Amino acid sequence: MDSAIRLRGLHKRYGDTVAVADLDLDIEAGEFFSMLGPSGSGKTTVLRCIAGFEQPTRGSVALFGTDVTALAPFARPVNTVFQDYALFPHLSVIANVEYGLRVAGVGRRERRARAEEALGQVRLAGFEDRRPHELSGGQRQRVALARAIVLRPQALLLDEPLGALDLKLREQMQVELKELQRELGITFVFVTHDQDEALTLSDRVAVFDAGEVVQLGTPRDVYDHPRNRFIASFVGSSTLLEPQVSAALGLGSQAMAVRPERVTLDAPGGVPGTIAEVIYTGPEHRIVVDLDGLGARITALEPNTGAQNSRSRGDRVTVSVEPAAAAPLEAEPDAA
Amino acid sequence: MTTRSVSAFLAPRRRLQLAGLLTPPVLWLGLVYVVALAALLVTAFWTVDELTGQVQIEWTTENVVEVLTGALYRTVTLRTLGIAILVTVIDIIVAVPVAFFMAKIARPRMRHLLVIAVLAPLWASYLVKVYAWRALLSSEGLIEWAVSPFGLDTPGYGIVGVVLTLSYLWLPYVIMPIYAGFDRVPDRLLEASADLGAKGWTTLVAVVLPMIRPAIIAGSIFAFSLSLGDYITTGIVGGTTQMLGNLVYTNVGAANNLPLAAAISLIPIGIILLYLAAVRRTGALRSL
Repeated sequence: MDSAIRLRGLHKRYGDTVAVADLDLDIEAGEFFSMLGPSGSGKTTVLRCIAGFEQPTRGSVALFGTDVTALAPFARPVNTVFQDYALFPHLSVIANVEYGLRVAGVGRRERRARAEEALGQVRLAGFEDRRPHELSGGQRQRVALARAIVLRPQALLLDEPLGALDLKLREQMQVELKELQRELGITFVFVTHDQDEALTLSDRVAVFDAGEVVQLGTPRDVYDHPRNRFIASFVGSSTLLEPQVSAALGLGSQAMAVRPERVTLDAPGGVPGTIAEVIYTGPEHRIVVDLDGLGARITALEPNTGAQNSRSRGDRVTVSVEPAAAAPLEAEPDAA
Repeated sequence: MTTRSVSAFLAPRRRLQLAGLLTPPVLWLGLVYVVALAALLVTAFWTVDELTGQVQIEWTTENVVEVLTGALYRTVTLRTLGIAILVTVIDIIVAVPVAFFMAKIARPRMRHLLVIAVLAPLWASYLVKVYAWRALLSSEGLIEWAVSPFGLDTPGYGIVGVVLTLSYLWLPYVIMPIYAGFDRVPDRLLEASADLGAKGWTTLVAVVLPMIRPAIIAGSIFAFSLSLGDYITTGIVGGTTQMLGNLVYTNVGAANNLPLAAAISLIPIGIILLYLAAVRRTGALRSL
């Protein structure tokens, strides 16, 4: 079967700047696929090439087996949820949702019924006659979603849709997005710079850096086995271990990344060190240890068990890491 | 008192600050607009001594009744209104594509050049521009030269000349607000419309035009009201055509009947007030 979205040699240049470099990517039908990366990493450009807002400099975009590279946005079977929602300010909520159906020539009664159904799916029934400026950010977000799904696209493209929402609302919308995707059973392509969001929601994540996909895999792959320094530091937090530190910890002779929650303190056979910092974050303590004689620091997490903080600055501890818990990093081509 | 102590004195006294800020302009506006308009209104109800030609403070509704019922005034009012409407429509038709190109298609460099090009004629004297049109429209003018190969003639001096000249004169005032209006339509909305299946034309009709309607109306207020009060252009390129402004001018000058002139000038004021009242609801007045 054909992939839902197939990119081949996708290349986009703006003047002298390469935004996307010869990208090959397959996104499967029904998949929740995230494109994760810092701003300027090319992820949004890829999304805009899929939607048709940008014409690639070279390369092709195929949707469900059909090459759409030369097609205008209105001729593509995908819909977009924009970062700033892009609701039509002069139209009511229901008219915004009906817009695509009206353009497609769907009759008034069916239009209304489908728009109301879509508003129900995003839990925004009862707001039909409001204007966008009368809604909160979260409500506008829902209208933008309803407006896109009402057309029953084969794939939904979401450009940092939760970026403008506050944390609480964002977490709630994450759950709802996931549920909506399951319910609709269509492909979601989700662009975000928030690694938490990408890990929480996705079936697969593509990590972008400087116009390239630097790692592609399940959230677990990407989190547990970051391939290089960039991914290890961008996705979640981790301590980067230089080769001599890896060796001292008995992990091999290669640069490695280790997640703080996989670092154990005071287990037998550990490397000695001094606690440099104890940071209380609520659910856990973040403990930074200066390793003796290595000139390196490592961070460990210990859950907040409710007992009075047992560790403090200056305490002597030993540090150990399970070999399976450390991810070997690829040598940096520019590190030499 | 030093500057510092004046500031310290004023800082907690918001009302005094506002009063200091607004008193001079309010006085000026009050004198120039309100008092002058009121004087005009009052003058319309006075009379002129037929012998001496002196204005007399003798109350009468004769002038106003004459202006409202006289056939001459009705004809000239309708003609003036027709010219103003035509000029407004022509300017909008020309301005919308130009403004769209400026705001949405032109690159920044081109956009700046176009803004300068649109505004540059405003630096030239009104009279120079109208006389330039007089030359263009003359029987040996550029228009005659350009259209004669097609068996056509220059429209010459008359209503057509007036409409063409006024359309030219007020075009910048129509382009600028519409340009600003287009500029306020985010590109994202055009993308969203295309994303939802709309082709360019549908997007224009369903999204762009409704959003820039206030801007178009704002532009129309300029073209319409400036045309309504004009008399110099008519005098120079209008041939024998008369607009309301010409009647006012004649009565102030040659006929020496200030009260009648005041009464006539109430007509365009009334029309403009009606027009403003009609467009008030559209939000256009916030786009000026």
